[in-house]
Amino acid sequence: MSGWEGFLHGLSVALQPGVLVYCVFGVVLGTFVGVLPGIGAMATISLLLPITYYLSPEAALIMLAGVYYGSQYGGAVASILLRLPGTPQSAVTTLDGYPLAQQGKAGVALFASMTSSFLGSMFGILVLIMLSGVLSRAATAFGAADYAAMMVLGLVAASTIGAKDPAKGFAMVVLGLILGCVGTDVNSGAQRFTFGQAELMDGVNLVALAMGLFGVAEVIANIQVAERGGVPRRVALRDLMPGREDIRRIPFPALRGASLGSFFGALPGTGSTISSFLAYAAERRISRRPEKFGHGAIEGVAGPEAANNAAAISAFVPTLTLGIPGDPIMALMLGALVIHGVQPGPLMLEARPDMFWGLIASFGIGNLLLLVLNLPLIGIWVSMLRIPFRWLFPAILVFVCLGVYSVRGSSFDIFAVALIGAIGYALSLARFNPALLLLGFVLGPLIETNLRRALLISRGDPLVFLERPISAVFVLAIALLLAMSLVQAIRRKAQRDRQR
Amino acid sequence: MNITRRAAFMGAAALALATPALAQDAAWPSKPLHGFVGFPAGSSPDLLARIVTEPLAARLGQPIVIENKPGAGGVIGIQQMLNAKDKEYTFGTTINGPMTTAPRLMPDLGYDVARDIAPVVLIATSPLVLVVSADFASDDLAGFVAAAGAEPEALSYGSVGKGSGAHLTAELFSDRAGVEMLHVPYTSYAEVTTAILGKEIDAGFMAPSAAMQYVEAGTLKILGITSQKPFDQAPGVPVMAGQAGLPADFRAELWNAFIAPAGTDAKIIETLNAEINTILADADVQKRLSDMGWQVAGGTAAELQQRIVEDTEIWGAVLDRIDAKN
Amino acid sequence: MRQDLPDLACGVVLAAIGLFVASYAATHYELGSLRRMGPGLFPAVLGGVLLGLGLLIAIPAWGRGRQAGSVAWKDAIAVLAAILVFAAGLERGGLVPVTVATVLIASIAAPDRKVGWRLVLAFAVTLLSVLVFHFGLKMTIPLWPNLS
Repeated sequence: MSGWEGFLHGLSVALQPGVLVYCVFGVVLGTFVGVLPGIGAMATISLLLPITYYLSPEAALIMLAGVYYGSQYGGAVASILLRLPGTPQSAVTTLDGYPLAQQGKAGVALFASMTSSFLGSMFGILVLIMLSGVLSRAATAFGAADYAAMMVLGLVAASTIGAKDPAKGFAMVVLGLILGCVGTDVNSGAQRFTFGQAELMDGVNLVALAMGLFGVAEVIANIQVAERGGVPRRVALRDLMPGREDIRRIPFPALRGASLGSFFGALPGTGSTISSFLAYAAERRISRRPEKFGHGAIEGVAGPEAANNAAAISAFVPTLTLGIPGDPIMALMLGALVIHGVQPGPLMLEARPDMFWGLIASFGIGNLLLLVLNLPLIGIWVSMLRIPFRWLFPAILVFVCLGVYSVRGSSFDIFAVALIGAIGYALSLARFNPALLLLGFVLGPLIETNLRRALLISRGDPLVFLERPISAVFVLAIALLLAMSLVQAIRRKAQRDRQR
Repeated sequence: MNITRRAAFMGAAALALATPALAQDAAWPSKPLHGFVGFPAGSSPDLLARIVTEPLAARLGQPIVIENKPGAGGVIGIQQMLNAKDKEYTFGTTINGPMTTAPRLMPDLGYDVARDIAPVVLIATSPLVLVVSADFASDDLAGFVAAAGAEPEALSYGSVGKGSGAHLTAELFSDRAGVEMLHVPYTSYAEVTTAILGKEIDAGFMAPSAAMQYVEAGTLKILGITSQKPFDQAPGVPVMAGQAGLPADFRAELWNAFIAPAGTDAKIIETLNAEINTILADADVQKRLSDMGWQVAGGTAAELQQRIVEDTEIWGAVLDRIDAKN
Repeated sequence: MRQDLPDLACGVVLAAIGLFVASYAATHYELGSLRRMGPGLFPAVLGGVLLGLGLLIAIPAWGRGRQAGSVAWKDAIAVLAAILVFAAGLERGGLVPVTVATVLIASIAAPDRKVGWRLVLAFAVTLLSVLVFHFGLKMTIPLWPNLS
């Protein structure tokens, strides 16, 4: 079955009323839980899992997937308006989305995020239709050394994001990597930095980390500012809709982001996290006005949002053909499939075209629905900003606490939010970038395992990173990036000396 | 099913409002149970747990919340089960590793199998198959052993973690066949098969279900199975015992069991054992388990206890060999 | 003041964390070899790098002045106390009283001195969280205190 035939067949599956209704339910529910700070797709899908016993496997997977990408749309709303990202991907969206909202251009930021999410997913579907065969082989071509090198490249590229001082960026990444070490070491089973706390054996809770670093820190910093009227909370209607100039800035970053996302998403692991950070770094690097980034660049919203939506789609290829889930949410969806007796594997595309292409087609339908649903809602979301902050922030805190608790029913994680929030506030006073900490945290364990694995397989020979062509390319790119930052730093220092 | 589930929720809601003294007097189970699984949602041990606990919840009239606490080859699931404060309502399913070999492998295990864990029932057993890439030079076990014996660590194999069933089976095999292979730990069979397909490693012992699709697709091949008799879910795969210099009594099987924290009321354990044995006798449950490569076991709690003691001994000898090597 | 205080403080703290992590990992966990890296090697190296980066941030900050933004101590304490109360009270105190307490404590930070709106807000947030989390998501938390 060719890609187009498959897609058309998939449409005929996904448009059946008995399936479509679950797609609609999934995306609407996803948007809703995405907007609420703290509770994300993870908690929702776990709760929906028992219900899927009573559905056909297609309807079940399409509904759960709808929750997954629907929550990305909703998550963007919370990230842009309140700086409350639930995932590392939406942490990237806060970098420029939140400054835009503070400048009274929340409507523009939301428009950019939704349209580029839509463009990204459409692009992802196109790539899948044309290249599904190639994508399913990409994962087996990547070895441990390649993964390690790729993730280090992601870290290095991202460290240059949003900080005038590269040392601060690197420090955040390294702190994140260290936090990622907490818990049980995969290779040896040893407990690291758990200090006897059973709750830490699974590592630091990602949602608690994101909510503390961003949400709580932001609430503390904002209470006085907001009340003194430092942040424009009143939004005129004409600011809701983007101007022609704003719209012009969306398509190309979105396309570039979508290409990055489609490629990296096909690599099991953290494709979508890496691709949204890389998309942001790329936009900043090629922009003619990089100084705007971090202060409300529309490209900084469009690129990463398109990237993570495209990646979410191509990520289903390794999940379904290799059985390797990209994140815990994907793992849950795999579980839902196996409950129905559908084994993921290389024969999935041929043996279950209904399932695979139905899902892909549902992405198209679902994303269209989300766009149609969410664009008119922009006005309502933005009007949330008119609520005085003193009414808003206690509610935010309660929802953050409950959301974090909902992940695994642990009060310990709420205590962690308080501690992390205090750290996050201190970091924000010194203008550190918490998004980088989050990135280091997510990639750290993967870098370490793959690094150790690569050296084990090569029998301790570090040259393996240069001998494998894929990893050699990444290593070269890392070296180039580092050299470029060094040259820039020296040039800047020379400039300063001359000015003196 | 629908009705009991709703009733269960209503029961739970009523309980939340009722006074605590009343709650303690109510007949067991009077609120949702928690079943700890030391593997991520969607993994084979997780699905096995769900296949068994779904009808169990219906029979007991209370929902069973599956708590996935993955890590350290399933050890974390048991640790978390023992840490849970809600005794009589906290249970777990576990593979053999955390019950037999983990005490040897992890000095800071945090529990003592004999002292802290009450066996309930053996759910199912599974042999492992030895898998290599389809273009591996040899088609049989003798060729594999010859290639592996060429020099120490000539071949590498993947497992699902240090001390996992796959790791220990491979070491037992290496010992009996007289070869040395390089061990590379992964976190799931899916990662191991991908690494074999990508030619990163040469081989791996895994559950038959993890390999069958690749065999059908012609990208992997199976050289042998560790059970004493041929296995229905791996048709045509030769038994390893007695081949390529392996002794005739060579056998390595994983199992999965239902357990409770020690100190759980003996009556509750009896109830659970009886209910699960009934569930395991169901043809539909047997089929679902065998589709995933598991063979239904069942039996008494004492039989499970004996199995734990026996396997601790067998695998202990393998661990002695691993220790001696390092 | 001639120092960039926030940078100085954060740099020093980061360096201290790095030093602690590196020395703790090196003394408590096996370092292994390049071929068989032990659980201690990766954190030990990272700790060392963080120590260096912390110093790289702190040292230039010593000789550089910057208008430090004021620290919102009162707000920070009110917000963190509210979260701590929520964490400590949720499982024993039940959702309803804990939510009310959290909202009231957090709202201390708000400049408006009146009381009425705080009660209204506490009621509204409690209602919303009970509806969403207890009835909507069916989370298993008690609504009222467990008095045993």
